[in-house]
Amino acid sequence: MDIPLAHYLILSGLLFSIGLAGVLIRKNIIVVFMCLEMMLSAANLSLVAFSRANGVDGVPVYDPQVLALFVVAIAAAEVAIGLALIVAMFRARRTVSSASLNTLKED
Amino acid sequence: MDFAISSILFYVFAAMTLICACAVIFSRNPVTSAMNMALCFAGTAALLFGMGAQFLGIVQIIVYAGAILVLFLFVVMMLDIRTEEEDNSFSVFRSLVRMAPGALVAGVFGSMICIAALKLPGATEWNNPLCTACDSIGELAIGEQEPTQVQQSGKYGAALPKLNPAVAAKVLNPAISDEEAAAATSMPDVKLLGQRLFTDYNVAFVILSFALLAGTVGAVALSRKIRKD
Repeated sequence: MDIPLAHYLILSGLLFSIGLAGVLIRKNIIVVFMCLEMMLSAANLSLVAFSRANGVDGVPVYDPQVLALFVVAIAAAEVAIGLALIVAMFRARRTVSSASLNTLKED
Repeated sequence: MDFAISSILFYVFAAMTLICACAVIFSRNPVTSAMNMALCFAGTAALLFGMGAQFLGIVQIIVYAGAILVLFLFVVMMLDIRTEEEDNSFSVFRSLVRMAPGALVAGVFGSMICIAALKLPGATEWNNPLCTACDSIGELAIGEQEPTQVQQSGKYGAALPKLNPAVAAKVLNPAISDEEAAAATSMPDVKLLGQRLFTDYNVAFVILSFALLAGTVGAVALSRKIRKD
């Protein structure tokens, strides 16, 4: 284990920005949602890296890992809700393109 | 020797994660995106294993690469999105123009994070095992007091501290003797995490279970067919 903390942070930042690029570029709302999940897992990566780096006497600090676990659980709930919303949107509009979300009321 | 292999594995899995993340964005078929997302999460899980967070690595595989991926695949295959893919006519220039603002924002954001990470104290003073020879030459020239100073300032550049199973065993159960603690060979990662989760964060854990329950109920309520009568 001789990877410096900075490399974990750079990797996490790159993964996050790739996810951000996907959220901004893609129109297919399912892929946008996948990219959101990637951003969450990038944040988890840096949380765990900090948990290791701030450890005392070779024992990691476990508070960030608890937070990472909570993030995973919330991400699971969010995916369930979000995909249900996408299915409802597909029923209403017959499309999953975010460009079609431009009216508040169904005409 | 094993530390060199583990650091090579870090870069292998990091590259795999980033390449698969790019493939998620740039593949036109949502099923391919989902598969690449699974590989991306597998790479992240491998990195978590490498950091000694075994429980979170397993959770990453089970929850992300298992449950969430299956959910995505179900929805992608349930909805007929082929009509969606056909109508955007393929034009390189138009797609580049459409991508440019998003790519620019994300690129600026990513390079900002990278620069910030490299500007951290000691982040560039990387003690690479492959160039220890160069370091020893430098030490000969400069003197002995230099390495301790790097160790002091370079918290972000120094390697992550080594895991110490003996201390962990002592933390987990203060009653055991030093000899028994020294006999511990592996990190009790799950036990330490569980201890923290069920003592300090017990209330938050219960609230989290309510959030999951609300998520389940909400998903069922949202995806149910609304009768028009």
